[in-house]
Amino acid sequence: MLRYIFKRLLIAIPLIFGVLTLTFFIIRLAPGDPAAFFIQPGISPNVAEQIRAQYGLNDPLPVQYVKWLGNVLQGDFGRSFSRSQQPVIEVIASALPITMTIALLTLVANFAFGILIGIISAVRQNSFLDRFLTVTALFFYSMPEFWFALMMIILFALKFPLFPTSGLNEIGAEGFGPVGFVIDRIWHLVLPVTVLSINGAAGIARYVRGSMLEVIRQDYIRTARAKGLPENLVIFRHALRNALLPVITIMGSSLPFIFSGALFIEVIFAFPGMGRVTVEAIFSRDYPLIIANTFISGSLIVLGNLFADVLYAVADPRIKL
Amino acid sequence: MIEVSKWFSPGGRSMYSLFLLMVLLVLTSCGGKSGGDNRARTAMDSTLVIAMLGDADYLNPVLGSTVTSSNIIGLIYPSLLQSEFDTETGLMNYIALEKKLRTTTSGQAQKTPKGSIARSWSFSADHKTLTYTLRNDAFWNDGEPVVSGDFKFTYRLYGNPVVASARQQYLAELVGADKGQVDFDKAIETPNPTTLVFRFYKPVPEHLALFHTSLTPLPAHRWKNVKPVDFRNAPLNTAPLGAGPYQLKSWKQQQELVLASSPKSTLPKPGNIPLITFRVVPDYTVRLTQLQTGAVDVVENIKPEDFTALLKANREIEVKTVGLRVYDYVGWSNIDQKEYHKSGKVIPHPLFGSARVRLALTCAIDRESIIDGYLKEYGVICNTDISPSLKWAYNARITSHGFDPAKATALLKAEGWLPGADGILQKQGRRFSFVLYTNSGNARRNYASVIIQQNLRSIGIDCKLDVQESNVFFENLHQRKLDAWMAGWAIGLEIDPLDVWGSDLNKSRFNFTGYQNPRLDQLCGLAKQKMEPTGAKAYWLEYQEILHRDQPVTFLYWMKETQGFSKRIEGEELNIAGSFYNIDDWRLRPSANIAQ
Repeated sequence: MLRYIFKRLLIAIPLIFGVLTLTFFIIRLAPGDPAAFFIQPGISPNVAEQIRAQYGLNDPLPVQYVKWLGNVLQGDFGRSFSRSQQPVIEVIASALPITMTIALLTLVANFAFGILIGIISAVRQNSFLDRFLTVTALFFYSMPEFWFALMMIILFALKFPLFPTSGLNEIGAEGFGPVGFVIDRIWHLVLPVTVLSINGAAGIARYVRGSMLEVIRQDYIRTARAKGLPENLVIFRHALRNALLPVITIMGSSLPFIFSGALFIEVIFAFPGMGRVTVEAIFSRDYPLIIANTFISGSLIVLGNLFADVLYAVADPRIKL
Repeated sequence: MIEVSKWFSPGGRSMYSLFLLMVLLVLTSCGGKSGGDNRARTAMDSTLVIAMLGDADYLNPVLGSTVTSSNIIGLIYPSLLQSEFDTETGLMNYIALEKKLRTTTSGQAQKTPKGSIARSWSFSADHKTLTYTLRNDAFWNDGEPVVSGDFKFTYRLYGNPVVASARQQYLAELVGADKGQVDFDKAIETPNPTTLVFRFYKPVPEHLALFHTSLTPLPAHRWKNVKPVDFRNAPLNTAPLGAGPYQLKSWKQQQELVLASSPKSTLPKPGNIPLITFRVVPDYTVRLTQLQTGAVDVVENIKPEDFTALLKANREIEVKTVGLRVYDYVGWSNIDQKEYHKSGKVIPHPLFGSARVRLALTCAIDRESIIDGYLKEYGVICNTDISPSLKWAYNARITSHGFDPAKATALLKAEGWLPGADGILQKQGRRFSFVLYTNSGNARRNYASVIIQQNLRSIGIDCKLDVQESNVFFENLHQRKLDAWMAGWAIGLEIDPLDVWGSDLNKSRFNFTGYQNPRLDQLCGLAKQKMEPTGAKAYWLEYQEILHRDQPVTFLYWMKETQGFSKRIEGEELNIAGSFYNIDDWRLRPSANIAQ
């Protein structure tokens, strides 16, 4: 398996480079100018030109590409145009952990709740509880997340002011002590993680229910029951393990989705994470930052898929990599 | 059938504990909230929180180019002169410790001169030499005195092409600038630490000379070893050394920036409020919610449609307005832009080339109903780009072109535009049909453009709407690729419109319409030669009449800027020059808890 992983990683390198090269040219060919901000009355016409020279945008495109390639191969993604020339790596280093925290918490909540609801629905198929959960799940699954986020804010921050609406911490949170600080942080994460995970959990619940129903009808489940095993052992050890196989594939591929879901959550809840960095970079035509963000999300997709394949093999010994 | 409780054991144990943990977390966080509530309240009582759309870029006056940066820089750094906008006349005033450009007549609270580094100034009779006398009791936060050398040092940076400061235009009249390169040794002299001399290559009106020479200084002793190439990347940019009422306490980029009152400041004094937090909240709805819940105290640019709900939901909020500096307009390409790009020849646009047609379009657009429907009392009909707030220059005798579809139809008929078989006006086989472009993400312009579309349709003009991503839209605009568009301008407080209307289309980069009128160029030139702005009044009155007659664009409405404030702030004065004009004088009323 190690050999397989190594091979996949090796293939990923030219793939990601291809994506980056494509991004490099597409963003430069797209309309818009990183120095556009400096083209306005009262600002000397020279300024935009000087700024472009500083950013190295006056060179012909192939020259820019070669220079960029040389830098990237040395691990230097350059400096951000829009964020006061901060090195791009620094910008990402400060944004990535925030998004990672949200994404991981969401992933955990997604699967915990999704699997739980899915099992209940399947085991109690066609009961009132099943119908109720199914309808609720469908309701949340079809709800646009940004709208849901705003509704949650109106409900839990405005009508019943239980949770804060933005930022990672309260003002003056540094004075709460380490425990207070962490609690304050968690308190700030409740709304965004709830919004992000409800939608995903609803989807996963549908998956789990479906595959669970299929498995429960299998002969070996009947056998397990017939030999007198307790019901929860039948459900969790025999049925669930097999029912989870398709779900595992989703886990690997849902990481990039959660990442992109974090995008609007970060804008709405004012978290300085990767999503906001990407959106702002695109709007301000911050080329180095856009490319570095593409690199991160591209790598995540590749790794996520690899992770899913590996998990698949781990969960089902019949699959050989 | 199985019991629900059984599911949780034994295989479900981990899931059960996870669930418990979550319940516990929610409970403790609620508990933690009430526990930390008092501390949070105490923190809030000494902290003013301002919600911002975006973060500051550089905390360096040479580089900072966003409004947020300017607001913060104004609190951290000292300034040579204080400036104020006289609402009685609409003129800018400049104030040194012992001298004022003009004595203001209005009874409004005036800016204290104590913040100025300049004690006084003298201006030579030939309007070419400006000599400042600086005070000797002004100090940077590290105890070093603020001296004339700091100004000269910083002006070199402002003028350095490698630094690429957005303010290099301020140096355009200094000696040498006419030859392409400011000669700093001759243009700025510092015979001793308290004397600062600026020399201009041509006579400059006094108010402009004061405006252009009062750029914010950096402490030379701190910055002298930083090479211009490294200037933008210098670590000092994030640790600014200033002398103003506030100093930087912390800056978490893209999250929040905290300023603390600077205890030793004498320029003019330490700020009243101990801490000012600028919080980045990108989403408008969330900014509004936070103002409503009291999480932030100031939110700028609240949309008129939200006022009623906001004020009803929280009585501790007030909305203040200031203006008028910002207007929206519909631009009509006066020239055939395709021909201009192809051959450089200027010929009238087939649809909008005639002033009569443009006047008809203005008459056909119901500007009042856009204002009534969206801006309400926060909008005023706009006739030209000279704001009614600039009272000294505003032409009050101009009467707006009212909404008059009949007149519009008659004007178009006189120009040869007659209804065709499909109901759309036609002239020599050409239908009166065009696309009106605007930038995305602007609810007001969307609202207005729909009304404009309906208005024009009712007199037989086919107007399609297209919303473009802002970067794309403005690039198209700058390259003069659009026939008709909707955009806006924020005007400067000094009138200088040649960039927007000048006949030389290569030089006037913002003349997107291609409008050309030699008399207008002449009037702008004549006005610039006057050494006292009010002397140019007659020229500006005529200027407005010409624009009103020619309608190079359809001016829509002036907008008041509307800011939401928590009522716990006391002493704030809104000024057309900026929302945070006297923020160092604001006070916070303590919350009830503390008062008990």
